Amino acid sequence: MKVHEFMTTKIEFIDASKSVYDAVERMVDRRIRSVVVRFAGKEGDYGVLTTRDIVFKVLAKGTNPKKVKVSEIASKPVACIDKNMDFDDAATAMERSNIARLFVCDEGKIIGLISLLDVMAAELVTRARGNHDS
Amino acid sequence: MILEKIFSHGKKERQVTEDIERHIQLLCKACQIFKDALERNDRNLMWEVIELERDADAVRRDVIAHIYEGAFLPYIRPDLCKFVEIVDEVFDALKDTSFHSLNYELPEALREESTRVALLNFRMCEMLLISFEAMIKGEDLRDKILGIRIYEKKIDDIKLILFKDVEQVPVANFWEGKKLSDLLTGLTMISDFIEDASDHLQIINVSTR
Repeated sequence: MKVHEFMTTKIEFIDASKSVYDAVERMVDRRIRSVVVRFAGKEGDYGVLTTRDIVFKVLAKGTNPKKVKVSEIASKPVACIDKNMDFDDAATAMERSNIARLFVCDEGKIIGLISLLDVMAAELVTRARGNHDS
Repeated sequence: MILEKIFSHGKKERQVTEDIERHIQLLCKACQIFKDALERNDRNLMWEVIELERDADAVRRDVIAHIYEGAFLPYIRPDLCKFVEIVDEVFDALKDTSFHSLNYELPEALREESTRVALLNFRMCEMLLISFEAMIKGEDLRDKILGIRIYEKKIDDIKLILFKDVEQVPVANFWEGKKLSDLLTGLTMISDFIEDASDHLQIINVSTR
């Protein structure tokens, strides 16, 4: 099964110049665990900010999230895979890099996201289909 | 193996199972054409879906007639009829959605996600067919029914996005808004009926063991 069939397209973007507090607000509102960070001036230049980054790099250190810019703690570059990649290959890439989510890209542009839960679901569906190709 | 005996016992039974299989195959074909029609905004293909619903009606009538002419033991007949009726509800929902698509052109901002829903609907139908074929062979359906539920949950996720995005789509008047709402509601409802059909298949499977 190709990743574009089962990816999540609910992706939130935030400008790198915004504060971590802005990102937290958005993540709480949308009930998401990560936001894609857009850096000004460069098309296709992305970073990612996760709840893990926010907790460990800001909150746990007692830093004020309103005074830290997203660009200061975002991880770069993002792990991206092609939309036509198989889920098996995506799982291998996730295991190799020890990451729980991968962005799906089309010509350098992020169009979706797959998590370990998506990989598990896709694997179960593939097994259930047996020899019936999708 | 009891199931295998039940479903391959006589000529009438075989006729019924073949017709039900044909009914689901028609559904797969209709869903695939619907997805292509939505993707390409092709009105002729939409009409083909409506034509297929009429063909499916004829198959449904044949199945029910053959069942009540004496195919299968009486206790299993209502469940088989109910299953066929639920599959027919999928066809009805698909036909209604096709009519809505003919009346109202889907805004480009919603086309990609809507096409994904249509594709997943098609995949669910394929899985329903796989499940039915597995039941005839007397195989366990658990993993296949789970597959259908996974597809349904995925469609539910996309539905949330679609109904959020639709708020940004400008509509000229009440009727335009209603047409858009009907189209999206119909599109995202198809999977609910397919899931109902798969649940009923599981009931038949369990009750004949």
